[in-house]
Amino acid sequence: MDLTIPDLGEVQEVTFLRWLKGEGEAVEVGEAVAEVEADKAVFVIEAPAAGILQRLCVQEGQRLPPGAKIGEIRPE
Amino acid sequence: MRRCLVLRLGRVPYGPVLALQRALHTKRRAQTVPDVLLSLEHEPVITLGRDGSARDLLVPWEELRKRGVEVFEVERGGGATYHGPGQLVLYPVLDLRFLGIGLREYVWRLEEVMIRTGSAFGAELFRRPGQPGAWHARGKVGFLGVHVRGWVTLHGLAFNVDLNPHGFAWIVPCGVPGLPVVSLQDLVDQELSFAAVEDAALRAFAVVFGVEVVELSGAEVRAWLSPSGLG
Repeated sequence: MDLTIPDLGEVQEVTFLRWLKGEGEAVEVGEAVAEVEADKAVFVIEAPAAGILQRLCVQEGQRLPPGAKIGEIRPE
Repeated sequence: MRRCLVLRLGRVPYGPVLALQRALHTKRRAQTVPDVLLSLEHEPVITLGRDGSARDLLVPWEELRKRGVEVFEVERGGGATYHGPGQLVLYPVLDLRFLGIGLREYVWRLEEVMIRTGSAFGAELFRRPGQPGAWHARGKVGFLGVHVRGWVTLHGLAFNVDLNPHGFAWIVPCGVPGLPVVSLQDLVDQELSFAAVEDAALRAFAVVFGVEVVELSGAEVRAWLSPSGLG
Protein backbone atom coordinates (compact mmCIF):
# COMPACT_ATOMS: atom_id res chain seq x y z
CA MET A 1 0.00 0.00 0.00
CA ASP A 2 1.32 3.43 -0.91
CA LEU A 3 2.34 5.79 1.85
CA THR A 4 1.41 9.32 0.78
CA ILE A 5 1.21 12.87 2.09
CA PRO A 6 -2.39 13.17 3.38
CA ASP A 7 -4.80 15.95 2.48
CA LEU A 8 -4.43 18.26 5.48
CA GLY A 9 -7.12 20.73 4.39
CA GLU A 10 -6.25 23.67 2.10
CA VAL A 11 -2.55 22.96 2.52
CA GLN A 12 -0.78 23.15 -0.85
CA GLU A 13 2.58 21.89 0.31
CA VAL A 14 4.19 20.45 3.40
CA THR A 15 7.81 20.31 4.50
CA PHE A 16 9.10 16.81 5.13
CA LEU A 17 10.66 16.78 8.61
CA ARG A 18 11.83 13.24 9.31
CA TRP A 19 11.22 9.54 9.24
CA LEU A 20 10.23 7.97 12.55
CA LYS A 21 10.72 4.40 11.26
CA GLY A 22 13.65 2.90 9.43
CA GLU A 23 13.83 1.40 5.96
CA GLY A 24 12.70 -2.23 6.06
CA GLU A 25 11.25 -1.88 9.57
CA ALA A 26 7.99 -3.65 10.48
CA VAL A 27 5.13 -1.28 11.31
CA GLU A 28 1.65 -1.75 12.76
CA VAL A 29 -1.50 -0.02 11.54
CA GLY A 30 -1.61 3.49 12.98
CA GLU A 31 2.03 3.55 13.99
CA ALA A 32 3.76 6.89 13.50
CA VAL A 33 6.12 6.64 10.52
CA ALA A 34 6.98 10.21 9.51
CA GLU A 35 6.47 13.88 10.40
CA VAL A 36 5.68 16.75 8.06
CA GLU A 37 5.07 20.42 8.84
CA ALA A 38 2.95 23.24 7.44
CA ASP A 39 2.19 26.64 9.03
CA LYS A 40 4.00 25.80 12.29
CA ALA A 41 1.88 22.66 12.64
CA VAL A 42 3.61 19.30 12.76
CA PHE A 43 1.48 16.47 11.41
CA VAL A 44 2.28 12.83 12.12
CA ILE A 45 1.80 10.41 9.23
CA GLU A 46 0.63 7.03 10.48
CA ALA A 47 0.98 3.67 8.75
CA PRO A 48 -2.24 2.91 6.80
CA ALA A 49 -1.55 -0.84 7.03
CA ALA A 50 0.69 -3.31 8.83
CA GLY A 51 3.78 -4.49 7.01
CA ILE A 52 7.32 -3.60 6.07
CA LEU A 53 8.14 0.06 5.47
CA GLN A 54 9.89 0.77 2.19
CA ARG A 55 10.96 4.38 2.16
CA LEU A 56 11.36 6.48 -0.94
CA CYS A 57 14.24 8.88 -1.09
CA VAL A 58 12.70 11.94 0.57
CA GLN A 59 15.03 14.61 1.92
CA GLU A 60 14.58 16.47 5.17
CA GLY A 61 13.22 19.92 4.26
CA GLN A 62 11.82 18.74 0.92
CA ARG A 63 8.52 20.41 -0.09
CA LEU A 64 5.78 17.95 -1.05
CA PRO A 65 2.14 18.34 -2.17
CA PRO A 66 -0.77 16.28 -0.75
CA GLY A 67 -0.91 12.90 -2.43
CA ALA A 68 2.83 12.71 -3.03
CA LYS A 69 4.11 9.19 -2.50
CA ILE A 70 6.84 8.92 0.10
CA GLY A 71 7.00 5.13 0.46
CA GLU A 72 5.14 1.83 0.57
CA ILE A 73 3.96 -0.57 3.21
CA ARG A 74 4.49 -4.12 1.90
CA PRO A 75 2.68 -7.01 3.58
CA GLU A 76 5.00 -9.22 5.62
CA MET B 1 -23.23 22.82 20.56
CA ARG B 2 -20.08 20.82 21.18
CA ARG B 3 -18.61 21.13 24.65
CA CYS B 4 -15.00 21.84 25.43
CA LEU B 5 -13.81 21.42 29.01
CA VAL B 6 -11.56 24.20 30.23
CA LEU B 7 -8.96 23.64 32.92
CA ARG B 8 -7.51 26.87 34.32
CA LEU B 9 -4.19 25.84 35.80
CA GLY B 10 -2.75 29.18 36.92
CA ARG B 11 1.05 29.51 36.91
CA VAL B 12 2.61 26.11 36.39
CA PRO B 13 6.01 24.66 35.43
CA TYR B 14 6.40 23.36 31.88
CA GLY B 15 7.29 19.71 32.47
CA PRO B 16 4.17 18.51 34.30
CA VAL B 17 1.90 20.39 31.87
CA LEU B 18 3.67 18.75 28.93
CA ALA B 19 3.07 15.35 30.54
CA LEU B 20 -0.58 16.26 31.16
CA GLN B 21 -1.08 17.43 27.55
CA ARG B 22 0.44 14.24 26.19
CA ALA B 23 -1.73 12.10 28.46
CA LEU B 24 -4.88 14.00 27.44
CA HIS B 25 -3.86 13.75 23.77
CA THR B 26 -3.56 9.96 24.02
CA LYS B 27 -6.95 9.76 25.76
CA ARG B 28 -8.59 12.10 23.25
CA ARG B 29 -7.31 9.96 20.37
CA ALA B 30 -8.84 6.93 22.10
CA GLN B 31 -12.09 8.94 22.50
CA THR B 32 -12.06 8.45 26.27
CA VAL B 33 -12.11 12.20 27.05
CA PRO B 34 -13.92 15.10 25.36
CA ASP B 35 -12.19 18.13 23.81
CA VAL B 36 -10.17 19.88 26.49
CA LEU B 37 -8.53 23.30 26.70
CA LEU B 38 -5.71 24.00 29.16
CA SER B 39 -5.35 27.68 30.09
CA LEU B 40 -2.27 28.74 32.05
CA GLU B 41 0.96 30.70 32.32
CA HIS B 42 4.35 29.06 32.59
CA GLU B 43 7.30 29.54 34.88
CA PRO B 44 10.24 30.78 32.74
CA VAL B 45 11.06 28.15 30.14
CA ILE B 46 12.52 27.89 26.66
CA THR B 47 11.13 25.35 24.26
CA LEU B 48 12.56 24.20 20.96
CA GLY B 49 10.04 23.07 18.34
CA ARG B 50 10.87 20.78 15.44
CA ASP B 51 12.46 23.68 13.49
CA GLY B 52 14.57 24.74 16.46
CA SER B 53 17.81 23.39 17.86
CA ALA B 54 20.43 24.19 20.48
CA ARG B 55 21.90 26.58 17.85
CA ASP B 56 18.95 28.89 18.62
CA LEU B 57 20.12 29.27 22.23
CA LEU B 58 22.26 32.40 22.59
CA VAL B 59 22.98 31.55 26.23
CA PRO B 60 24.40 28.06 26.86
CA TRP B 61 21.90 25.46 28.03
CA GLU B 62 23.80 24.90 31.30
CA GLU B 63 23.87 28.64 32.03
CA LEU B 64 20.10 28.83 31.52
CA ARG B 65 19.62 25.92 33.93
CA LYS B 66 21.71 27.79 36.51
CA ARG B 67 19.36 30.76 36.13
CA GLY B 68 16.42 28.45 36.80
CA VAL B 69 15.23 28.44 33.18
CA GLU B 70 14.37 25.01 31.86
CA VAL B 71 14.84 24.05 28.21
CA PHE B 72 12.65 21.47 26.49
CA GLU B 73 12.78 19.97 22.99
CA VAL B 74 9.20 19.28 21.99
CA GLU B 75 7.13 17.91 19.12
CA ARG B 76 5.40 21.13 18.06
CA GLY B 77 6.00 23.06 14.84
CA GLY B 78 8.14 26.18 14.82
CA GLY B 79 11.51 27.09 16.29
CA ALA B 80 12.66 28.35 19.68
CA THR B 81 10.39 30.34 21.96
CA TYR B 82 10.28 31.67 25.50
CA HIS B 83 7.39 31.37 27.95
CA GLY B 84 7.14 33.11 31.28
CA PRO B 85 4.80 34.78 33.78
CA GLY B 86 2.53 37.34 32.11
CA GLN B 87 2.03 35.27 28.98
CA LEU B 88 -1.30 33.48 28.48
CA VAL B 89 -0.86 29.97 27.11
CA LEU B 90 -3.72 27.94 25.64
CA TYR B 91 -3.24 24.25 24.86
CA PRO B 92 -6.32 22.90 23.06
CA VAL B 93 -6.58 19.13 22.83
CA LEU B 94 -9.22 18.94 20.12
CA ASP B 95 -10.32 16.32 17.61
CA LEU B 96 -10.29 18.30 14.37
CA ARG B 97 -12.42 15.67 12.59
CA PHE B 98 -15.35 16.44 14.88
CA LEU B 99 -14.84 20.16 14.27
CA GLY B 100 -14.70 19.39 10.54
CA ILE B 101 -11.61 21.50 9.94
CA GLY B 102 -8.15 20.90 8.50
CA LEU B 103 -4.73 22.07 9.56
CA ARG B 104 -4.75 25.49 7.89
CA GLU B 105 -8.18 26.39 9.26
CA TYR B 106 -7.05 25.30 12.73
CA VAL B 107 -4.01 27.57 12.62
CA TRP B 108 -6.18 30.40 11.24
CA ARG B 109 -8.60 29.99 14.17
CA LEU B 110 -5.80 30.05 16.75
CA GLU B 111 -4.64 33.32 15.20
CA GLU B 112 -8.22 34.58 15.24
CA VAL B 113 -8.53 33.86 18.98
CA MET B 114 -5.45 36.03 19.61
CA ILE B 115 -6.57 38.81 17.25
CA ARG B 116 -10.01 38.98 18.90
CA THR B 117 -8.45 38.96 22.37
CA GLY B 118 -6.33 41.95 21.39
CA SER B 119 -9.34 43.64 19.86
CA ALA B 120 -11.32 43.23 23.11
CA PHE B 121 -8.83 45.65 24.70
CA GLY B 122 -8.56 47.98 21.72
CA ALA B 123 -5.32 46.63 20.19
CA GLU B 124 -5.28 46.11 16.45
CA LEU B 125 -3.54 42.82 15.73
CA PHE B 126 -3.18 41.14 12.36
CA ARG B 127 -1.77 38.15 10.46
CA ARG B 128 1.41 38.16 8.41
CA PRO B 129 1.44 35.82 5.41
CA GLY B 130 3.95 33.03 5.89
CA GLN B 131 4.60 34.05 9.53
CA PRO B 132 1.88 32.43 11.63
CA GLY B 133 1.00 34.32 14.81
CA ALA B 134 -0.63 37.56 15.90
CA TRP B 135 1.22 40.74 15.02
CA HIS B 136 1.08 44.42 15.82
CA ALA B 137 2.89 47.13 13.88
CA ARG B 138 5.40 47.19 16.78
CA GLY B 139 6.11 43.47 16.85
CA LYS B 140 4.84 39.96 17.52
CA VAL B 141 2.30 39.56 20.32
CA GLY B 142 1.00 36.02 19.78
CA PHE B 143 2.83 32.82 18.95
CA LEU B 144 1.70 29.39 17.91
CA GLY B 145 3.12 25.95 17.50
CA VAL B 146 1.04 22.85 16.96
CA HIS B 147 1.35 19.09 16.81
CA VAL B 148 -1.37 16.91 15.28
CA ARG B 149 -1.58 13.16 15.40
CA GLY B 150 -4.69 11.19 14.49
CA TRP B 151 -6.26 14.62 13.85
CA VAL B 152 -6.02 15.43 17.57
CA THR B 153 -4.13 18.60 18.49
CA LEU B 154 -1.38 19.19 21.02
CA HIS B 155 0.51 22.37 22.07
CA GLY B 156 -1.16 25.61 20.90
CA LEU B 157 -0.78 29.33 21.35
CA ALA B 158 1.04 31.80 23.60
CA PHE B 159 -0.16 35.39 23.93
CA ASN B 160 1.91 38.09 25.61
CA VAL B 161 -0.31 39.87 28.11
CA ASP B 162 2.41 41.58 30.13
CA LEU B 163 5.52 39.47 29.66
CA ASN B 164 9.02 40.59 30.54
CA PRO B 165 10.59 39.99 27.11
CA HIS B 166 14.13 39.49 28.46
CA GLY B 167 13.84 35.74 27.86
CA PHE B 168 13.59 36.31 24.10
CA ALA B 169 17.12 37.77 24.19
CA TRP B 170 18.41 34.33 25.24
CA ILE B 171 17.23 32.73 21.98
CA VAL B 172 16.71 33.24 18.27
CA PRO B 173 12.91 33.34 18.48
CA CYS B 174 11.08 31.53 15.65
CA GLY B 175 14.38 31.40 13.74
CA VAL B 176 14.32 35.22 13.34
CA PRO B 177 17.27 37.00 15.01
CA GLY B 178 16.17 40.19 16.76
CA LEU B 179 12.45 39.48 16.30
CA PRO B 180 10.58 42.41 17.91
CA VAL B 181 8.37 41.04 20.69
CA VAL B 182 5.68 43.10 22.43
CA SER B 183 2.93 42.53 25.00
CA LEU B 184 -0.69 43.58 24.84
CA GLN B 185 0.01 45.82 27.86
CA ASP B 186 2.50 47.83 25.72
CA LEU B 187 -0.24 48.52 23.18
CA VAL B 188 -3.12 49.74 25.34
CA ASP B 189 -3.62 52.65 27.74
CA GLN B 190 -5.56 50.77 30.42
CA GLU B 191 -3.97 48.63 33.14
CA LEU B 192 -4.64 45.00 32.20
CA SER B 193 -5.41 42.21 34.60
CA PHE B 194 -4.22 38.79 33.50
CA ALA B 195 -7.54 37.22 34.51
CA ALA B 196 -9.50 39.70 32.37
CA VAL B 197 -7.38 38.90 29.32
CA GLU B 198 -7.71 35.17 30.03
CA ASP B 199 -11.51 35.56 30.26
CA ALA B 200 -11.55 37.44 26.94
CA ALA B 201 -9.39 34.78 25.28
CA LEU B 202 -11.65 31.97 26.49
CA ARG B 203 -14.71 33.84 25.19
CA ALA B 204 -12.97 34.36 21.84
CA PHE B 205 -12.03 30.67 21.77
CA ALA B 206 -15.67 29.65 22.30
CA VAL B 207 -16.87 31.88 19.47
CA VAL B 208 -14.11 31.10 17.00
CA PHE B 209 -14.33 27.33 17.52
CA GLY B 210 -18.12 27.28 17.91
CA VAL B 211 -17.95 25.40 21.20
CA GLU B 212 -19.49 25.81 24.62
CA VAL B 213 -16.59 26.18 27.03
CA VAL B 214 -17.33 24.43 30.30
CA GLU B 215 -15.03 25.51 33.10
CA LEU B 216 -14.20 22.89 35.65
CA SER B 217 -14.19 23.83 39.33
CA GLY B 218 -10.97 23.82 41.34
CA ALA B 219 -11.84 20.44 42.87
CA GLU B 220 -12.67 18.96 39.45
CA VAL B 221 -9.42 20.30 38.02
CA ARG B 222 -7.46 18.77 40.90
CA ALA B 223 -9.15 15.41 40.30
CA TRP B 224 -8.13 15.58 36.62
CA LEU B 225 -4.61 16.56 37.54
CA SER B 226 -3.89 14.15 40.34
CA PRO B 227 -2.19 11.55 38.07
CA SER B 228 0.03 14.28 36.55
CA GLY B 229 1.43 15.49 39.86
CA LEU B 230 0.06 19.00 39.28
CA GLY B 231 -2.95 18.61 41.54
